[in-house]
Amino acid sequence: MTTYFIYAGVGLCFLMFLALYRVILGPTAIDRLMGVNVIGTKTTVLLIVIGLIYGRVEMFVDIAIAYALLNFIATVGAARYFQHRKNLCSVGFGLRHKEDKGDTTE
Amino acid sequence: MIWQIDLMVLTLIVFCAFSAVMVKDLLSAAIIFGAYSFLMCLLWTEMGAVDVAFTEAAVGAGVSTIFMIAAIFRTSRSVKHRSRGRRFYKLIGFFAAAVTGMVLLYGQSDFPGWADPNSPASSHLSPYFITHTISDTAVPNIVTSVLADYRGFDTMFETAVIFTAGIAVIFVLRQYRRDQTDVAGTDEVAYQSPIIQTVSRQMVPFIQLFALYVVAHGHHSPGGGFQGGVILGASFILVGLSYDLRSVLKKMGEGPNIIFGNLGVFLYAGIGAVCILLGANFLDYSVLSRILPATDSVMARSHGILGVEIGVAIAVMAIMIAIYVNISSHGKYDKGL
Repeated sequence: MTTYFIYAGVGLCFLMFLALYRVILGPTAIDRLMGVNVIGTKTTVLLIVIGLIYGRVEMFVDIAIAYALLNFIATVGAARYFQHRKNLCSVGFGLRHKEDKGDTTE
Repeated sequence: MIWQIDLMVLTLIVFCAFSAVMVKDLLSAAIIFGAYSFLMCLLWTEMGAVDVAFTEAAVGAGVSTIFMIAAIFRTSRSVKHRSRGRRFYKLIGFFAAAVTGMVLLYGQSDFPGWADPNSPASSHLSPYFITHTISDTAVPNIVTSVLADYRGFDTMFETAVIFTAGIAVIFVLRQYRRDQTDVAGTDEVAYQSPIIQTVSRQMVPFIQLFALYVVAHGHHSPGGGFQGGVILGASFILVGLSYDLRSVLKKMGEGPNIIFGNLGVFLYAGIGAVCILLGANFLDYSVLSRILPATDSVMARSHGILGVEIGVAIAVMAIMIAIYVNISSHGKYDKGL
């Protein structure tokens, strides 16, 4: 049974790689936000899986509940930011960032 | 330690750290740090440090990303470059980072390996705590008893550090000009989403109930004052994000908030002072059995731990609210993020 849970955990980690691809490269901040949300959801499940591997689920379930309750606060905060500022992709185009020559010199 | 999950999580962490440094958009960097925090929590969990993982979960998911987003909201989202002497500064920065990294790697070679049974901590300290915790303090969670009883003095000053951070934020950012609040009062109200308001109105009581459970149940499960206090503060921040800052200040005004912050640290230090007055050392809770009804000296230590955890929770909650309100409103207490 432990082997099964280890494979499940490795599979979840692989899914986190796919989400992290969007987080690192992904052209606007909204893409990154969605990627981080997916990683947070995977983290909640993976915490329980690690608890099952160690056989002490009762110690790990509190952390998973904390993530389940608090995971969306950062998303709401970023949504508030975009509501006020309204530039979804101001400067950052992932790592392929072109420098703005206009107002960046001091 | 499960090496398969360990390897993948560490790889993810390295990718996250590199991209957070490389990305030019500061808001994106704050969001990537959110992912970094999730992965650090996973790493600590599977190393077995559940209390540390819980702190990372509460702080990383609840408040730290929000603090950074609020700071970016009030300052600037893009990195400013200097055209003159840029290469020189980059070279200095690279050398400083490289030398520090090499020194750290050199020092790391002297450390004992992970979970080495012959390391000094495992051969002297840990056996004492493992064998004596139940008979000394009647607390099953060893981390809680070490944190609040055996090492209670350290934890008191950790609380004092958080309190000092909050006071410093208030001193630096708070603006008391009356005319500006009047001008801001005439501004249009930000769009209120009924979906988010309804959901957070349902969620906040459960978040607060869970936070109280974390504080009270810290003796038996991971958690305690710091984690519970951060979750309590995060519930107020959620109200501030889904409604507006005024509804937070209606529930927890500026004056009461500061009083709560002081009260928490005072409760911690006060329990220690009561121990002195009863003729024992500072924070030696066992003498509290003289004033608490129907407790022997072992249970008195357990109750003393609970008392200082409640103090920590109150202080941390108040300081988290104060930092959020000050950063998001630029110290004007009128209009938040």
